[in-house]
Amino acid sequence: MKSVAIYGKGGIGKSTLASNIAAALGEMGLKILLVGCDPKSDSATNILGKKIDPLLELMKIDKNPAPESFLFQGINGVHCVEIGGPEPGVGCAGRGLILGIGYLLQKLKIESFDFVIFDVPADIVCGGLAVVVKEKYAEGVIIVTSDEFMSIYAANNICRGLASIKAAACGIIYNKATSKGMRYIEEFSKRIGIPIIGSVPYSEELIFADKKRKTSIEIFHDSEVSRAIRSISISIFNNKQAKVPNWLSIKELEEIFGENP
Amino acid sequence: MSIIIHPRPSPIAAAMYMLRDLDADVIVLHGPSGCCFGPARLLEKEGVKIVTTALSDNELVFGGEGRLSKVLKRVDELFNPHLIGVVGTCASMIIGENLKKAAIEAGVIEKCLCCSVHSGSGDNTVGAIEVLKEATNAGLITQDEYERQKYMLEMAALVERRRGTARSEYIGNCQGDDPNMVARQILRTLRDGGDVACILNAKKETAFIYADTLLALSDAKKGKSGNLRFIANLDPNVGLPRIRSYSKEILRELSCKGIFIERITGGLDEYPVSGERATEYIMEVKPDLAIILGIPHAVAVEGKIRTVAVSSGTRATYNLKSLGYDYVINERHAHRASLGNRRICKSILGESIRMVSREDKG
Ligand SMILES: Nc1ncnc2c1ncn2[C@@H]1O[C@H](COP(=O)(O)OP(=O)(O)OP(=O)(O)O)[C@@H](O)[C@H]1O
Ligand code: SF4
Ligand SMILES: [Mg+2]
Repeated sequence: MKSVAIYGKGGIGKSTLASNIAAALGEMGLKILLVGCDPKSDSATNILGKKIDPLLELMKIDKNPAPESFLFQGINGVHCVEIGGPEPGVGCAGRGLILGIGYLLQKLKIESFDFVIFDVPADIVCGGLAVVVKEKYAEGVIIVTSDEFMSIYAANNICRGLASIKAAACGIIYNKATSKGMRYIEEFSKRIGIPIIGSVPYSEELIFADKKRKTSIEIFHDSEVSRAIRSISISIFNNKQAKVPNWLSIKELEEIFGENP
Repeated sequence: MSIIIHPRPSPIAAAMYMLRDLDADVIVLHGPSGCCFGPARLLEKEGVKIVTTALSDNELVFGGEGRLSKVLKRVDELFNPHLIGVVGTCASMIIGENLKKAAIEAGVIEKCLCCSVHSGSGDNTVGAIEVLKEATNAGLITQDEYERQKYMLEMAALVERRRGTARSEYIGNCQGDDPNMVARQILRTLRDGGDVACILNAKKETAFIYADTLLALSDAKKGKSGNLRFIANLDPNVGLPRIRSYSKEILRELSCKGIFIERITGGLDEYPVSGERATEYIMEVKPDLAIILGIPHAVAVEGKIRTVAVSSGTRATYNLKSLGYDYVINERHAHRASLGNRRICKSILGESIRMVSREDKG
């Protein structure tokens, strides 16, 4: 696998994990590109320690901005770009993504990177936001979920979207993992036919690092959470399998939780 | 397949035409600069200023209400208009732009009619109805007038679906019959003492072209034993002031030439309903030949009476042929030529009738 897109319910930890995985792979000497596709432009912050100008904002002023103006290198040599997009409630983020990523791939030699991670907005609500997987910019999707019903519900919706555009997923990351919740994720994984790549425990270190605009990989190098993320990163990098997921009806989803959702 | 796959008229264009009927000075299309280029250029012949907000990818991504506001302010300075029409397009409507908000921002809402339609809003009449609704809210037309016009537009859409170019998945194109040949048939019927009914059932300004056939026929009838009667949707007391003025002018020109309309079937914006009235009348008088001008498919007498159908466009022509009208003339300039023109002007069939008539005399 050379490129993945990270999907999951809003606020589930996509950006946190994307930046930590990028930092972990960078630490191993790999050349990594992290592409922030969310109009919020908050994917690269942990790598660079600051916000950068999103590509689309630059393209507003100059149709043809040079890579130096939008591509930045941060911790562990990780390269970052923020695509950017409109303020909430105006314009069209999907169209922005189509244009921004199109331009990015035209300007950057994407093959020169060992691995590319796309951190995408929470839901595939329109064709434009699906462009990353639809156009196969990312070879596979990583689905991030916790064991909460609404999070699995959102993950299932993502599977539904992927199935309808025949895009492949390569694995599930179980975030904010607890020993009690594992069985729900295992059941969900079995039913949609996509393996669990690994789990990341609920971690105060991750929250603290996020607040400091850092990755846990950097500042809590040997913590349990950093070790978990490193192990997941290696699995993702070495993974060679991806398939179009199944998706479940509401009834089937409820069955996963049985009597106590 | 149940969808229609040939090109269809656009609600955006219909909204622009309706704004012209309401005497808007400027129309602002909130969309790409190339949107509805054809209709926009034609309408400019009517003296309406048409501008666009020239939306491009930047505005589609980040929103274009600010741009619309700026353009509205600029238009206000440049043209000092009394009435501005603001029309949405696919581009701006898909990204959820608020036309009124931009007009308020620009401080021109009082003189704006904002119409949030786009090319995928449905039948083209949807665009016209939307403008009328806004005009009613603004007090430019009465609620009764709104209801009447809305009914007519809905009937028009229905007629299109039943018998017009929206009646099947794909309708081809055809050039129609040779106008000289058709003119000979008409004059022969008159010469042989036949009863010829000429029915004008036209839409708005296109009547200025189709009415020319009435003038030509009336001249050519002289010295022939047949009977010639005229039926027309030229009620001068129906519709917006602009539409009434068309009827008045045409009636004036016709009466100058001694032409008397035997039956007025409605106003120039009532062609779906006036068509039904014309149908009833024709079936009563049962002429030997009926010449139907404008929107012939709204006058369903084909197969019962010998007919000449005169309309505009190769697709309409193909449709009329396949419905079974005996002769079909493509009055191909009717639309283009009627814009920017307020007098009866020469038509293809009218000119053919004149020429054949001269041949007969000479
Ligand atoms: N394993 C974890 N343990 C505790 N907190 C976590 C964990 N993973 C993420 N978080 C916290 O959850 C919050 C949301 O994370 P993040 O911004 O990465 O979510 P997201 O999925 O990218 O959200 P969005 O959909 O808004 O882009 C952050 O405060 C982050 O620190
Ligand atoms: S697609 Fe819609 S907005 Fe675009 S040019 Fe056509 S009518 Fe206009
Ligand atoms: Mg995020």
